[in-house]
Amino acid sequence: MRVLVESSDVLPLVDLEIALPVGSLQDPTGQEGLAQLTGHLMRRGPRGLSQQRFEDRLAALGARLSVEVSMRSTRVRATVLRRHLEPLLKLLADVVWRPALRAPDFAKLKRRAQAALTARLDDDRTLGAVCFREALFGEHPYGRTLSGHADSLARIGLQQVEEFYARHIAKGAFVIGVAGDVTEKEARTLVDLHLPSPRRRAKKESVVPPTRARRGRHVVIIDKPERTQTQLLIGTLGARTLDRDLFPLIVSNTAFGGTFSGPLMQQVRAVRGWSYGAYSRLLHSTQRDAWYMGTAPAAEYSADCAALQLDLLERWVAGGINKAELGFAQRYMINSHCFDRDTPSKRLEARLDVELLGIPRSYIDKYDQRIAGVTRQQANEATRARISTRDLTIVVVATANEVASSFQRLSGVKSVEIVPFDRI
Amino acid sequence: MGAPEVLIERLNRGVRKRNARWTFVRDQAFGDALTLRRFRLGNGLTALTLVDRSAPTVSYHTWFRVGSRHEQPGKTGLAHLFEHLMFNETRSHPSGDFDRLMERAGAEANAATWTDWTYYYENAPRDALPLLIELEADRMSNLVLRVPQVTSEKEVVANERKLRVDDDIEGKALELLYDSAFRRHSYRWPTIGSMEDIRGFTVRDCRDFYRRHYAPGNATVVIAGDFDERKALSLVQKHYGNLPGGRAAELPTPSKEPSQRAERVFQLPAPTPTEKLLIGYRAPAFSHPDTPALVIANEVLFGGQSSRLHRTLCLDQEVALSVRGSIAPFIDPGLFEMWIFIREGQRKAKALELLDREIGRLGRNGPTALELEKASNQIELSFLHSMETAGGKAEQIGFYETVVDDGAAVFDRLAAYQGVTAADVKRVVAKHLRPSRRTRVEIVQRAS
Repeated sequence: MRVLVESSDVLPLVDLEIALPVGSLQDPTGQEGLAQLTGHLMRRGPRGLSQQRFEDRLAALGARLSVEVSMRSTRVRATVLRRHLEPLLKLLADVVWRPALRAPDFAKLKRRAQAALTARLDDDRTLGAVCFREALFGEHPYGRTLSGHADSLARIGLQQVEEFYARHIAKGAFVIGVAGDVTEKEARTLVDLHLPSPRRRAKKESVVPPTRARRGRHVVIIDKPERTQTQLLIGTLGARTLDRDLFPLIVSNTAFGGTFSGPLMQQVRAVRGWSYGAYSRLLHSTQRDAWYMGTAPAAEYSADCAALQLDLLERWVAGGINKAELGFAQRYMINSHCFDRDTPSKRLEARLDVELLGIPRSYIDKYDQRIAGVTRQQANEATRARISTRDLTIVVVATANEVASSFQRLSGVKSVEIVPFDRI
Repeated sequence: MGAPEVLIERLNRGVRKRNARWTFVRDQAFGDALTLRRFRLGNGLTALTLVDRSAPTVSYHTWFRVGSRHEQPGKTGLAHLFEHLMFNETRSHPSGDFDRLMERAGAEANAATWTDWTYYYENAPRDALPLLIELEADRMSNLVLRVPQVTSEKEVVANERKLRVDDDIEGKALELLYDSAFRRHSYRWPTIGSMEDIRGFTVRDCRDFYRRHYAPGNATVVIAGDFDERKALSLVQKHYGNLPGGRAAELPTPSKEPSQRAERVFQLPAPTPTEKLLIGYRAPAFSHPDTPALVIANEVLFGGQSSRLHRTLCLDQEVALSVRGSIAPFIDPGLFEMWIFIREGQRKAKALELLDREIGRLGRNGPTALELEKASNQIELSFLHSMETAGGKAEQIGFYETVVDDGAAVFDRLAAYQGVTAADVKRVVAKHLRPSRRTRVEIVQRAS
């Protein structure tokens, strides 16, 4: 068992986290949403306490608790007033290792998860994001949604949750993080007292096959009525965490679409006023994750905005970034890095990522040197090697009959698929 | 930190211009460990400093006492559009320079506008403070307003309106709620403005607004974080000391809202799979003595998964997917907003009945001792979270200074919450949360 401590006596607050290397990648095919349902059922409290008494106890301690499930991790996080640290730690340990997993709670939770899928249809940005990953990754596990689908949720019973819990959490590896108004010695004493015996548990990293890009440019229109504005995502495969050229690609992407001053934001928003936001994001994981641009143009010029973005993308990949853009991105990233570590909880999260997600320690400890060491040649070679202008997924949430023909005319588009928004 | 009187004497030595001479106003304790200092420049600029070396960062806030409440019908959204324009060209810096210089320094720069105020902020590494001061002083007086910038920014704001209102059910419902709950007061129009007004703004509108509201006498600068106070004040003196003083703009007083005597109900058809209820009870001003008890009532009703309405509507009866409540922190009386996100197949009448039952119970019996303890602890937790970073502290100081004229009042407010009794909650719920004082927007499904 690893215990990571970030001490700070600035405020009488403590953040606690039990981080487990299990997430939606462990969802069995056809039971997408199982990891999240398991995490959320644990959140309903430990054995011996009704949900109501559990919630009362948390609130009375001045604590907030969340269970956040991602592709590769489940993070049980709590924040508590310093004076109530010890009872909260005990409660948190019970949530993870003595969860009630009650049938009535499960039935309610499942109904809630299904209702949340319906309510999600109101949120165009989420619809776009979910559809983008599904369209980009297809059947690959990276294309799964954390919350599953109505069909997959229907296939999950309490038994599946219990089995998932027993297999991946009860005896799985974990890391403990403590940040805030507590000394390292105090934290370790409390953890030793209230958490399971510190025997080392093997961390089982699931083997994920490589991701593959679909050939050509493909448009998916999520058809929703009465849209005056569209949500537009254009992207392709991104990077692996252990790619040698990850940092050059991060710097290059920052120069292109990671700041307000970059060409993407300047051309889309500052020059034309077409979208409130315009950005590009590079994600990395054990296999190549996504790279994408996001904008929200009005319906009448959504396709024009997409064409502009494609043009900017081609220029970036073919021409690369110049010396001034490289220097600007490097200074921005190094100078603003202090905001990645200005609170104990942020410092703790970075260390937990190292332990949990296999991020090399030097990415955190030598961040500034790694950024500063990127040359223009490395940045441009990484961009050309990793970012495809040919194989692109274009997702737009819009009223289809207003935009379909104009998206069909975009350069190089091989297919246009229209999906009703209530089938996402 | 040295003695403020000595500091001021040194800073004013040899300074002849009245506008550039500092006055020390007072020290105030800011929690147990920090001190908030108030200074005033001769031209009327108020500066509040909070030295806090817990992280190598600094936050620089500029709060203007102007928001959408100061607009006129036909010109709604001008305060917000102006916030956008402030990131453009000045006589000293070409278009785009502001963002480039900020980003190169590692600073995050942004702004916000609401009914009563507009503020601009930068969170930056501590070494960037001289740049922040120079650029903020520059745009307070040297902004260049021309047709291309205004035209482009109007398009951005029109897109923002589509994002936040026209295509957003919650945004649209909130707009209808305030338009229906207020008939005279300027809180009735949206801060982002109507699309017609946004499209209609001219360069002249923007120049008039700038002259009228953007002046040292209408602004408060807050500097929080790891910085040298003497150097910071010296730089503020250097860059703002040349700006003309004069009186703060005479702002129109919004019309007083007549009291509401009957419930108002409106329907908003929308392309949504689930119905929603948005309810606004007339609530007192942020500084009113009843507000802390109403905030505790909000915590009892809506605060987290142990709250009464979450438990009743979301967990026990499964009528709603989620609920939330908040009290608008306005200078004049605003609304206590309540949202109920109803589940597919459930009836809004049932949700309303359960809401009324819980509010009635709270008004008759008050909260339990456990509920009061929970509310107090949860509010303390939120308060501490808001104080985690230099930016969080600066925001609290700027807000309290602008809304209640006391940047350190956040601690008094916390004490007021902790002093609320069950009888207080019972009294304010019975007084303010009556159906006749509410406006209800029912979001209903429109067949596509």
